[in-house]
Amino acid sequence: MKRAITITVNGQEHEEMVENRLLLVDFLRDVINLTGTHVGCSFEGVCGACTVHLDGVPVKSCLMLAVQADGRSITTVEGLAKNGVLSILQQSFTEHHALQCGYCTSGILMNATEFLQSNPSPSEDEIRASLIGNICRCTGYVHIVAAIKTAAQRLAATRLEVAK
Amino acid sequence: MFPAPILEYFRPASVGEATRLLSGGAGENAHIIAGGQSLMQAIKSRLISPDALIDLQDIKALRSIHFDKNGLVIGAMTSYADIASDKRIPAAFAALCDAAGHVGDRQVRNRGTIGGSLCWNYIAACLPPTCLGLSATLELQNAAGRRRMVEARAFLKGPLETDRSSDELLIAIHLGPAAARTGSAYRKWGLVTDALPVVNICVSLEVGADHICREARVALGARSEGPTRVEAAELALRGVRKGDVRAIDAALDAAAEAADYQSDLWADAPYKKVLLRKIGREAVTVAFARASGEVGK
Repeated sequence: MKRAITITVNGQEHEEMVENRLLLVDFLRDVINLTGTHVGCSFEGVCGACTVHLDGVPVKSCLMLAVQADGRSITTVEGLAKNGVLSILQQSFTEHHALQCGYCTSGILMNATEFLQSNPSPSEDEIRASLIGNICRCTGYVHIVAAIKTAAQRLAATRLEVAK
Repeated sequence: MFPAPILEYFRPASVGEATRLLSGGAGENAHIIAGGQSLMQAIKSRLISPDALIDLQDIKALRSIHFDKNGLVIGAMTSYADIASDKRIPAAFAALCDAAGHVGDRQVRNRGTIGGSLCWNYIAACLPPTCLGLSATLELQNAAGRRRMVEARAFLKGPLETDRSSDELLIAIHLGPAAARTGSAYRKWGLVTDALPVVNICVSLEVGADHICREARVALGARSEGPTRVEAAELALRGVRKGDVRAIDAALDAAAEAADYQSDLWADAPYKKVLLRKIGREAVTVAFARASGEVGK
């Protein structure tokens, strides 16, 4: 029933005894107390609020068991800011007022962070298509799309700087 | 929503180890978990309560896209995202990229697998009718090491039913060989973008240099009896010239009649026929374009 697992979360190893049936999202929230990852739809896996990175790739942490993440690396929204400085995408979200209640925000940040890595200069249509797996019920997406667009431009500028 | 207790969790590192678990090692009520994007919903809602899960994520041999002398071979644990983004997949099998690229959303495509979709064989799924329309052959293996090749047509039975024995593992999906100038396409309609299909169609066309269709395969999903090939539409498409909208529509009328759609909460049967004609025309047009080497999206 129980199993010892080791999961690296935001660079830190966590060794825990967990029940096989424990969902990854519940491991993150209730076992290691990282409550930035949210539970929205609770079982269908359609809202995206629980999106985290599994070895760098966005996945829904309510659609997998914690034991499945044994030996693997997870990044949650708590892992985006470095030394207290928000990531470029997070900063853009605050500037564009891309969140109202904030419930969906952590999932969208995790999805969009990787989206901008795999598609550094997306069109507005591509940004909107990338958000299909994240439901926001209060801002209406306009600000979210604008924030992602601005972040893409800033990330491109940063890359140019680094290249110089 | 919490799953019922799961007594055992196995993570085999090889096909042999996995099939041994399947043939008794993991107990009677054991279930394979691939990407888990359908299965976890069923487990969380306690629609099913497996005593043991056999997680295939560590079997690297099941996660690959490569070519052999007959055509394309896709490992059962290959994700939708990997299929959708693979630029080497030729026009003949491009319907696979259409289907895999529009399953659910990015997060689902990162986890969900082609083998999981085929073995689950849910009614509203994209990959079963696509593999049917592409005449895929499925490779299975049991604990004795016996490998068995099954045509998608025989493998995909009624909803949530397949020809897989409880001690067999789906290893790979084989496609081809395809004749030169073959193109395929998959289209679906759902309530919102990339939603579960309410109506879907996969079309594969072998086209002559004169732009006339020589061979056609048409498969429909989203039916209460499971996915099916539609021979009436296939016959009607043979001899049709690229761009002959009237003849294409006639073939799709035949498909819509043969579909035997049922009305449900999402669309009534006559509306599904309208939708099928609409997405079907697009699928046929794109398949023709791909067959003649045009890059169709």
